[in-house]
Amino acid sequence: MTQALVKRPLLNTRGIIFLCVLAAVAFGVPYLNGAGALPDYAVSLIGKYLCFALLAIALDLLWGYCGILSLGHGAFFALGGYAMGMHLMREIGDRGVYANPDLPDFMVFLNWQELPWFWWGFDMFWFAALMALFVPGLLAFVFGWFAFRSRVTGVYLSIITQAMTYALMLAFFRNEMGFGGNNGLTDFKDVLGFDLQSQDTRIGLMMLSALAVAIGFLICRAVVVSKAGKVIVSVRDAESRARFLGYRVEGYKLFVFVLSGMLAGLAGALYTPQVGIINPGEFSPANSIEIVIWVAIGGRGTLIGAAIGAILIAAAKTVLTGLYPEAWLFVLGGIFVFVTIFMPRGVLGVWDSMVDEMWRLRGMNPRERRLKA
Amino acid sequence: MNAPSKNIEPGSGSEHAQKPSLLALDGVTRSFDGFKAINGLTLTIEPGELRAIIGPNGAGKTTMMDIVTGKTRPDGGTVQFDGHDMTRKDEADSARLGIGRKFQKPTVFETHTVEDNLLLSLRDDRSVFGTLFSKSDPAGRIAELLALIRLEDRRLDLAADLSHGQKQWLEIGMLLAQDPKLLLVDEPAAGMTDEETARTAELLRSLAGDHAVVVVEHDMEFVRQLDCKVTVLHQGAVLAQGPLETVSANEQVVEVYLGR
Amino acid sequence: MLRMFRSVIAFVGLLQLAMLVPAHGQANDDAALRGEIARLAEADFRGVEAVVQSLASTGDPAVTSVLRALRSGDVYWRKSDKLVVIGEKAPGRSLLLTDPLTGEEIETVKKRETKKVKVNNTLRNAIDAALGGLTLRASDPAIRMQAAAQMFAKPEPKALPALDAAIAAESDPDVASAMRDARAVLILKSSEADKADALDAIARMVARGDAEARNALASITSDDAEITEGAALGIEKIDTSLRYWGYGQNIWQGISLGSVLLLAAIGLAITFGVMGVINMAHGELVMIGAYTTFAVQEFIRNSAPGLFDTSLFIAAPLAFLIAGTVGICIERGVVRFLYGRPLETLLATWGVSLILQQAVRTIFGPNNREVGNPSFMSGAFELGGLTITWNRLWIVIFALVVFFALMFVLKRTALGLQMRAVTQNRAMAADMGIRTGWVDAMTFGLGAGIAGLAGVALSQIDNVSPNLGQSYIVDSFMVVVFGGAGNLWGALAGAFTLGIANKFLEPFSGAVLAKVLVLIFIILFIQKRPRGLFALKGRAVDA
Repeated sequence: MTQALVKRPLLNTRGIIFLCVLAAVAFGVPYLNGAGALPDYAVSLIGKYLCFALLAIALDLLWGYCGILSLGHGAFFALGGYAMGMHLMREIGDRGVYANPDLPDFMVFLNWQELPWFWWGFDMFWFAALMALFVPGLLAFVFGWFAFRSRVTGVYLSIITQAMTYALMLAFFRNEMGFGGNNGLTDFKDVLGFDLQSQDTRIGLMMLSALAVAIGFLICRAVVVSKAGKVIVSVRDAESRARFLGYRVEGYKLFVFVLSGMLAGLAGALYTPQVGIINPGEFSPANSIEIVIWVAIGGRGTLIGAAIGAILIAAAKTVLTGLYPEAWLFVLGGIFVFVTIFMPRGVLGVWDSMVDEMWRLRGMNPRERRLKA
Repeated sequence: MNAPSKNIEPGSGSEHAQKPSLLALDGVTRSFDGFKAINGLTLTIEPGELRAIIGPNGAGKTTMMDIVTGKTRPDGGTVQFDGHDMTRKDEADSARLGIGRKFQKPTVFETHTVEDNLLLSLRDDRSVFGTLFSKSDPAGRIAELLALIRLEDRRLDLAADLSHGQKQWLEIGMLLAQDPKLLLVDEPAAGMTDEETARTAELLRSLAGDHAVVVVEHDMEFVRQLDCKVTVLHQGAVLAQGPLETVSANEQVVEVYLGR
Repeated sequence: MLRMFRSVIAFVGLLQLAMLVPAHGQANDDAALRGEIARLAEADFRGVEAVVQSLASTGDPAVTSVLRALRSGDVYWRKSDKLVVIGEKAPGRSLLLTDPLTGEEIETVKKRETKKVKVNNTLRNAIDAALGGLTLRASDPAIRMQAAAQMFAKPEPKALPALDAAIAAESDPDVASAMRDARAVLILKSSEADKADALDAIARMVARGDAEARNALASITSDDAEITEGAALGIEKIDTSLRYWGYGQNIWQGISLGSVLLLAAIGLAITFGVMGVINMAHGELVMIGAYTTFAVQEFIRNSAPGLFDTSLFIAAPLAFLIAGTVGICIERGVVRFLYGRPLETLLATWGVSLILQQAVRTIFGPNNREVGNPSFMSGAFELGGLTITWNRLWIVIFALVVFFALMFVLKRTALGLQMRAVTQNRAMAADMGIRTGWVDAMTFGLGAGIAGLAGVALSQIDNVSPNLGQSYIVDSFMVVVFGGAGNLWGALAGAFTLGIANKFLEPFSGAVLAKVLVLIFIILFIQKRPRGLFALKGRAVDA
């Protein structure tokens, strides 16, 4: 009698709790807002955190499972944000300062006569939405194809991803690029006919973000529990062994990189309408590294931990920069140091060890318990 | 410097063989920053053959395996495996064509269970989307392998928790799961107890026949236990070849091993 | 060298001219001059021109002030007695009259009691030429040099006789050469110069070979085919040489940028190469060096301003020590716990960089701080067709000195030996009795100290702000990645290659795009050679 192979379920207990919490946020926040218990701005703020959570999940899939530390994930996020921002700019139409029906204000200001070709089609929402996924995906594909094929790994890869986002930042700062230069894209009016300033739209966007986090989580989780997910972890742990078993490591890395880049782009696309601006600062290397610390603090290789980490840090940033703006970088820097030295497995990792310890005290093998969970 | 004598045993070259050789290296060279790691290496392995390759440090053993598995490109010469030109392949190709390679340091997937390690090694669709939507459940085959490598009761343990010897066995099990035509084994006896060494030699002998097995080894006792044809590498070329007794009587070999 | 000497002289001359001190002795014949000047009253344009010519022909510097005044329309004659004077506007529509030669005040009169000596453009040009001719005979060679240069820049063919006379009288060979240059331009400008002279002039301009010479040739209008052809050929020659000088200038700027990158990157190359540690706080150590310089200068300004020129000699060792100490603290406090986990090290040191940045912002404020150049680092000189600023030159020299000093430390000292031992085989080194922990701390400290030195250099060419480190960190990583980690020669080659590539791209694409292109180039390059330009090859690195 042979034992059946152990298969990890798409949704374990923790995953179900996570989705329930998401649902509670998606429906509870509007309720609390309606009841007056939450100020209006908090809704958009929570929506923004949810975008960060999705971004963190995307990076965790790449770093936590495949071992590729991208220091340039902000680039995919920003590209998604720009794609959506371009649509929102076109939606302004002739309501801009210069009342030009075709050209966004900054182009009129720069004396441009016609819309550059790469702005074509962005008046259509579906096209912009597609581009918000496609462009980051394409960048991830091209970059990853070159990098993985020549076996650039480890810190080298991290550094060139940083160079990638840095180069994009410099490029987007230029007015000639046609993306609004320094100021980026802003002054949006509405999306699909809904007024971006109205609270209802904001609630809708926040709920949409929660949905996106849920979908992103499920996609990543599905990849992780599949056999491909096991291969991906194998690539992280013993890349050459995976190669000598006949797995084309580049292909797996590329798959994860592109998927992760697209999810980051989706997060960016949801982020732009909620904060009302997208500018080249989103490409800055510092932003990208901050994403990494979200994942690290939550616990990499857990997906849910990444989301928790993102929300924790982003909320701490909101609170602290409001109360003691001087202190924030000290705190953030301290978190980087503390987490890497004392909590390499992050919050969720610490929680897991505690639970394991508890089971061990009760005389059960924690690993077997977890495998069955 | 003595010119390396190619073949002590006449008639073993590929040009005389009746059936085509499984692996044939001909005049292979490869240098790193001017240092010739492999220098005109010519070597053939027949299907099902068990072969030990010995040589002092820097003789080019590891580089030779790197070249055969497509990890390193030779500067010159030809490498044929089972009718394929290996100089244009990479590691994944070599694995898919039927070359299994065991590293000197046991290399298994430490954060996977023993079961998953074997699952990932079994012959199956290796493509991204193939594995993404894989429905295969080869529980029976995995149970057989577990029995062979005597790790049945460690099935759900993480590979990281295995002992050194058990990891070596798991890695061998993973190679067998690949069902390769050629097994390249790098110092399998390193770090093993005498008993484990003997068992490993026995296992490798039993595998020969179904698979060609090439063992790179330092440990002469282990080579003796393998009881097979021995090739001595020196400075990137074949110095001597034949049964262990013949080879160990060869003056050049003695000189190389004992220092000049 | 000659060119450089000349420009210094010209500079001194300019100062003296600005003060308008007549350098010559007293006029030889005051009365004759006054007679000429008196003719300005009631003169028409032609009459005025005649006066200007005759005044100029005296070669007496005393007439410069009246010519200048004439040119700016400040010469008047009193209606009552036709006395020619210089008038200066005074309150209430009146004029303060002064003597045209001595400058003594005469009286203040209503404007309507005088009449202005009118000048037109033709006259102004004649006056300019006359003035040029006059200063050509000044006793101070610097002023003569300046005059020649002015004549070169604003050629007036009518001044040719005066110039010829000046050349004949000139004793200083440099000034004479400048005058001959000017003469060549005058000849090229004039329509009646003879052909041999014109060809000589063309040859002279080609020999001079700068942009002004090219303009002079380009402005030739002649019917003679030989002359126009010669000029065209000359222009071509000059263009070619100018282009090469342009390349030279690009290379120099690239070397200058490269030396900055080198300084920023070699410390990184050490920590990465020897210890495999990516130190993201490296840029902040550079910043600390720059702020050390700032603090030292502030202190000197407040307590011993006379020592300002020595500020860098005090700041450099201090910056090395401070940054090095901070580096050792980082190593002992953070990095030590993370060996073998390069990605975590990267994150932790990034955290340190944030803390250091904010600390500096809190102490020194968020704004740019200006660090002064000591006198020996100010200004520029010309070398052939190159303009080289002293601060850049010193930084290149400094970078190379630091580079070779570091090379020496690594190759010839006990610490260097131990460092290399630890790089090659940590476990073995430990077994040999090397205190690897101590070596790690010292290595990190050394790398950090060099970052501090880089900060001292950077403070001389860039603003000192809390973001200083951030703006160099990506670039210095690129240098290390491009050159090959852990190889100092790689860092050297990488820094200069990237610096020069950047500066060559800039004219075509602009500074930002050049940087983007270089980054893209590196990203592509690393595909070909994932371990950099000077990486070790072989199977050892794949382990």
